[in-house]
Amino acid sequence: MSGTSSTLPGERRLSLLVTVLAFSLPIIFVLVPLAIFLVYSFFSVDQGTIVHVPTLGNYIRFFTDPIFLPVFWNTIVLCVSVAAICILLAYPAAYFLTTLKGRWRYALLMLLLVPLLMSYVIKIYAIRSILGLNGFLNKALVALGILDHPSTLFVFNMNAILLTLSLLLIPFAILPIFLSLERIPQTLLRASDDLGASGLQTFLRITLPLSLPGVASAASFVFVLAIGDFLTPQMVGGVSGFTFGRILYSQFGTAYNWPFGAALSVALAIVVIAAILVGERFGRSRGTTV
Amino acid sequence: MNQNTDLLTLRSVSKSYGTVPVLHDIDLSIRDGEFLTVLGPSGSGKTTVLRLIGGLEPLTSGEIRLDGQEISRMPINKRPFNTVFQDYALFPHMTVSGNVGYGLSVRHIRRKEIASRVAQALELVQLGRFADRFPAQLSGGQRQRVALARALICQPRLILLDEPLAALDLELRRQMQEFLKSIQREIKTTFLFVTHDQEEAIGMADRICVMQAGHIRQLGTPHDLYYKPNCEFVARFFGENNLVAGKLGPVQGEQRPIETALGRLVCSISGQPHLKTAPDGASAFAAFRPEALHLADAKDSSNRFSGTIADLAFAGSSTVATITAGTVDPAQRLRLRMPSRIDGSALKPGAAVSLCFAPHEGHLVLA
Repeated sequence: MSGTSSTLPGERRLSLLVTVLAFSLPIIFVLVPLAIFLVYSFFSVDQGTIVHVPTLGNYIRFFTDPIFLPVFWNTIVLCVSVAAICILLAYPAAYFLTTLKGRWRYALLMLLLVPLLMSYVIKIYAIRSILGLNGFLNKALVALGILDHPSTLFVFNMNAILLTLSLLLIPFAILPIFLSLERIPQTLLRASDDLGASGLQTFLRITLPLSLPGVASAASFVFVLAIGDFLTPQMVGGVSGFTFGRILYSQFGTAYNWPFGAALSVALAIVVIAAILVGERFGRSRGTTV
Repeated sequence: MNQNTDLLTLRSVSKSYGTVPVLHDIDLSIRDGEFLTVLGPSGSGKTTVLRLIGGLEPLTSGEIRLDGQEISRMPINKRPFNTVFQDYALFPHMTVSGNVGYGLSVRHIRRKEIASRVAQALELVQLGRFADRFPAQLSGGQRQRVALARALICQPRLILLDEPLAALDLELRRQMQEFLKSIQREIKTTFLFVTHDQEEAIGMADRICVMQAGHIRQLGTPHDLYYKPNCEFVARFFGENNLVAGKLGPVQGEQRPIETALGRLVCSISGQPHLKTAPDGASAFAAFRPEALHLADAKDSSNRFSGTIADLAFAGSSTVATITAGTVDPAQRLRLRMPSRIDGSALKPGAAVSLCFAPHEGHLVLA
């Protein structure tokens, strides 16, 4: 690299280094591992050792074995439900935040985001003890007379995973929705009032559509985080709460079938990428420059 | 529409934000069908007047009446007024026709009627071809016209315009001024236009209301404000003016002299009884426009004084001379505007000149 006379050679070398780093970091740490995964998914295992001969066997097994596709589908449904619950709870919370003035708004927002600072595992333990047979939820429901005796409905099954993931991921939904609501210029709402719209009409026709990009990114965020999670199902799912993440984990952790695990990961990655693309598509708002 | 009936009346309206008063006891009547401009420097309370009328903010005290009916507490969405906001406030997720039709569709008017009225309104603002565009795809002037169409489609009794031309460049602003005026004549709706730009105000308004520091200083036609300002603020704020301080002398029919550092200046007081009744010796200003001041010739006898040309500025059709005159230190600075001539002015900076203005072109304002 020969430096031109107008710039210092050292400066040029530094900027070159920064450029190389900026491109090489994501390549080394994201693209290369993904490529390795993709390659491994075409290998097979024989007696505990990996056979480096390309085969479509893993993918054929995924599509034909009666176990994997139903679990895959159920997991997607579960994570869509988690995303839906998170949006339904986060939207009113975020909307409430934007109605607050000045300092209170951000103080409360920070408070809602505090759970993100806590250890993930500890939060799962805490939620599990709330959901358990002698947990707070059962005691409260019995005390209120809604249940006669503590129910096992809330722990070690799919319900438990649904509730726990929703609780864990709500902060990730509040933030993008809050940001999109906050970005709506107040004069748009005043203009709507001025043109004769009622409060409900203004919300349904101005606020809601203009906040949909935030809702879309919140939904794809939560969905992607939920579908990649294997720890939560492992800890609160019990035997019946079997998710795709757990199958994946077992292929790497217990079955030592890395090529098949890689193939399952590729299937999962396709869903995740699709979710991100869909979120991005709806997350782009039309002409927000006005 | 009858320009002589009052559409809207503000009676001793005051407004404070917390303990900070922004409007003091405003009285204002807006006539049906007129183009009324509220003019004032920033912080004068002019936008607050508009926001109170539009219902964007509550009054602190006083009342607003529409056709004699009190509407001070009527919610914003029930008032038969529409606003053109300073930044247009177009809905970015709706097309031009969606924006324009919004006021009708929230009133549950049949879709077919909305479509035809939207087409009409867009035709009126010459945006028929842009019905399916989004606001982000329009230029500033086009957005402006969409905002106007959106406001007038509901056939409001009054259209409120909050410095709508401020964001446009000069050429476009001129075009929009003419355009607004012609639309106002065509639809015969009352316009209340807020601006800080006096040229804009002169060009469009039937009447101008000059505000300063939360008070209305003067309300009148652009001609009245220009030639008969009633206070020092209006005399200085509205157009270029020469003000010379002095003490009033005794009334002489329709004229009155004022003793100044430039000598005795005689000014007209016709049609202004408050200048007739002011006591002798009261502090006042002689006010005369730069175009009324001219070089004196032999037959000019009154309002004559001498000065020195400090600077000459060519401004296209006219040339403006800055003149220092009088003996008091610092010397009085005056402006003289004369038609430009192709062979240049005979005057040179530093030249001593004799100046005068006709008594009927001079005016008095009390200090």
